[in-house]
Amino acid sequence: MTKKIKKPLPWLRLDNAAKIYPAARRSNWSNVFRQSVTLYEDIDTDVLRSALKVTVKRFPSIAARLRKGLFWYYLQQVESPPEIREEQSYPLIFMNNREMRRCAFRVIVYHNRIAVEFFHSLTDGTGALIFLKNLVAEYLEQKYGISVPFEHGVLDRQKKPSAEEMEDSFLKYAGKVPGSRRSADAWRKAVEPMSDGFLSLTCFNIPIKDVLDLAHKHKVTVTVFMSAVMMKALLNWQAENVHNIRARKRIKLLIPVNLRQIFPSKSLRNFALYTVPELDPRLGDYEFDEICRVIQHTMGLEITAKHMSSMIAKNVNDEINPLVRLIPLPLKNLVMKAVFESVGERKSCLTLSNLGLVKLPDIMGQYIQRMDFILGVQASAPYNCGMISYGDTIYLNFIRNVRDAELERHFYAVLQQMGITATVESNRN
Amino acid sequence: MYCINCGVKLADTEKKCPLCGTVVYHPDIKRPEARPLYPNNRTPKPQTNPKVINGFFIIMLLIPMLICFLADLKRDGNLDWFGYAAGGLLLGYIAIALPMWFKRPNPVIFVPCNFAAILLYLLYINHTLDSNWFMSFAFPVVGGFGLIVCAMVALMRYVRRGALYIFGGGFIAFGGFMLLVEFLLDITFGIPFIAWSVYPLIAFVLLGGGLIYLAINKSARESMERKLFF
Repeated sequence: MTKKIKKPLPWLRLDNAAKIYPAARRSNWSNVFRQSVTLYEDIDTDVLRSALKVTVKRFPSIAARLRKGLFWYYLQQVESPPEIREEQSYPLIFMNNREMRRCAFRVIVYHNRIAVEFFHSLTDGTGALIFLKNLVAEYLEQKYGISVPFEHGVLDRQKKPSAEEMEDSFLKYAGKVPGSRRSADAWRKAVEPMSDGFLSLTCFNIPIKDVLDLAHKHKVTVTVFMSAVMMKALLNWQAENVHNIRARKRIKLLIPVNLRQIFPSKSLRNFALYTVPELDPRLGDYEFDEICRVIQHTMGLEITAKHMSSMIAKNVNDEINPLVRLIPLPLKNLVMKAVFESVGERKSCLTLSNLGLVKLPDIMGQYIQRMDFILGVQASAPYNCGMISYGDTIYLNFIRNVRDAELERHFYAVLQQMGITATVESNRN
Repeated sequence: MYCINCGVKLADTEKKCPLCGTVVYHPDIKRPEARPLYPNNRTPKPQTNPKVINGFFIIMLLIPMLICFLADLKRDGNLDWFGYAAGGLLLGYIAIALPMWFKRPNPVIFVPCNFAAILLYLLYINHTLDSNWFMSFAFPVVGGFGLIVCAMVALMRYVRRGALYIFGGGFIAFGGFMLLVEFLLDITFGIPFIAWSVYPLIAFVLLGGGLIYLAINKSARESMERKLFF
């Protein structure tokens, strides 16, 4: 009798942006984010399990686990989908090393909500959204017997993934001249995180029409407008805490940029960089319109193919340096962690990531009530913010690991001044 | 509903304003029940591997068992008391570690299993010592006690809002059980009947009756809650 040899599952090198995340992990922090879809009806877990089984096969680069080589971490496709969990407590509960070695993403169900939490090395917000859309499409097809057309990010799940989807687009679109990462540190309020690790979530539901009208009035996009509201809130928060205007530090907001909009990439892995508009409060008070202009011009200057490819080149050059490549992984981790702590997070107050207006095939729309996008907190800063629009509402999720909702209060005060009514909800009751 | 302090519009799920912490209350407006955005559980369950825990318990069981076995054997080459020690350890394992093999252990199944295990253990001791107290004393005492406990556990699990009645009835049954124990002691060991069992009977009946009274009388219940809350 011949013994059947089991073929090892496919594996992938981490993409350029993904390499920093495993090294930057701490004993109580890992870079995980969540996307969720809330349906009108409660979720049938058995059907979801079956849908997940189909979906993970279509996305081998996302349905993966993190493994350790001698010189680099790598991803390996999971043999079977992870167990579907019930929501236990707060979102984005710490994902430890053991869990990542088994599977670096989770599927969590809460009544009528399907949430997927991804370790950032697997993919970015855009890739994750495509995974979630396909999981939900497969679920709806199996549950309700409908047929969802392959459009707006819904793919044919019976097909094999294309090479383009699996590629590391950073390597492909790196420029020849590397840019510079040098920039000033941002203001951060020194706060003590909650001892039990609880993450407080505050979700603002904002009518999209109100924001669009005002954004048009200021001649900016929704992202620029909401970023301006956030920066104004940060300015006010700092002014409340630091009375001496000369002692105030720069307000910097990290806005992720989806590079697929600039380069013709179809990658489902990480392919995002960022732009960091900044304000110097020592120069005086900023009018709202002024803040809009600063953000708009910074984005205009930085979100270009040339600038972004030079930024990619800077990151890629470090990766392809033969000396760097030959350093064993534990040593590399130490260096990457030091770099992340000194230049990664200190250069912005917080991240405001906007996934934009989600488009879905019409037939899916009638089953879906809302969508959410929640970023994890940063390693050493208390706040982060994720934003997604679905239907006629913007869902803006603040997450924090400190007790007081100071930033949210300032954010709401700015919205209120602009005449925008937001409904607020939280996970603290 | 709007927050009276900061003016933000609140979702129906919110009992406090998420921005300023002000309690949401309006005497004239009844808010619709809404499902909370997340479970009201501040601490997630620790992610422990059940196989590791069970392995640990098995080792914790086997090590003392082995020590007892060797110690008993070394004394005179025969096994004299090892069976009692091993039985005791197994009882502990069945009570604590066995339910951990299951994802959602049901006490309605595991509590009777524990009593059955105790009965088997006592039967073994009775048989080894060539005694005859099992059928006349151990079996009815453990069986009666087990019956009351199992009934209470089952009722607590499947009957909603009946805790006071269940505990009240349980206490009264325990009072009666005390009489049975003394009666069985008389039959088996010749200890004179009706000596001490009346006292616990009175205490348990009073306690149980009090609980049932509280279950029936709402105002008395509220008064007790008011005085005893902590």
